[in-house]
Amino acid sequence: MPTDPPIVFGPLRVHVDPVRAKAYARETGGDGQTVPLAYPAVWLTDPTLATLLNDLCAAQAAIPVHESQSFHYDQPLHHGENYDIHIEIRREETPPRLIIEATVLNMHKTQVAKIDAMLRLVPRAGLGAAV
Amino acid sequence: MNATINIGDKLPEMIIGPFEADDLMRYAEISGDQNPLHLDEALAKTIGFSAPPVHGMKVLAAFDAMLRRWRQDYEIIGLSGKFVQPLLRGERATLSGRVLRASEKEVFLRLFAHGPSRLPAIIGEATLRPKSLDAT
Repeated sequence: MPTDPPIVFGPLRVHVDPVRAKAYARETGGDGQTVPLAYPAVWLTDPTLATLLNDLCAAQAAIPVHESQSFHYDQPLHHGENYDIHIEIRREETPPRLIIEATVLNMHKTQVAKIDAMLRLVPRAGLGAAV
Repeated sequence: MNATINIGDKLPEMIIGPFEADDLMRYAEISGDQNPLHLDEALAKTIGFSAPPVHGMKVLAAFDAMLRRWRQDYEIIGLSGKFVQPLLRGERATLSGRVLRASEKEVFLRLFAHGPSRLPAIIGEATLRPKSLDAT
């Protein structure tokens, strides 16, 4: 059940760094010839977005646990290309979650991909002082 | 000529791992996911894991390579996964997949990543499209 209005973030200009994309492919069993499907996950660790997510979790006295992830492509990503990501973050109450929906556009403003991530918010209480 | 894909077809299984601390550190550096839970053994134990969990994305992303090796005449247009049970550092996972729907335009697969636990680490889905459709 939605609780607050969604937070709209972006557009965030991102880049498929060929060196990083090939390194990501190597770490996940790929050959590096194509951009890995999951490569946009690296964009979702952008410090500005991470700070926003950390603040949302702190407000709920919770830690995020990655519950699910999806990538849907209209076109493949290409090494060396720039893209803009528009992000919407929604909070759900039952169960407590953050839903991150990202739309990836190319420089012609054509949609290339949709990326969704679901983070379960686990209360810090009971986890001790370690988190 | 490439073989037709039919409902019920199984992908060749692929074993990944075991992933050690260096592997997790390298993935953290490349992906930017520096969550200490994946890197700090003491923290993982405090939360109840016997070893740090492998980044779920590292396991999910491995299906990309598996699917590309299976059918190079298809492109992957969708990949998703639910992280059910953590795969822990030092553990192997077996990736498997089965065709649930198949047409001339699209193939839909159910994917599993199984570690040593009874529950799968990941239950996923993938959608593939023949590359020949892009040429039309």
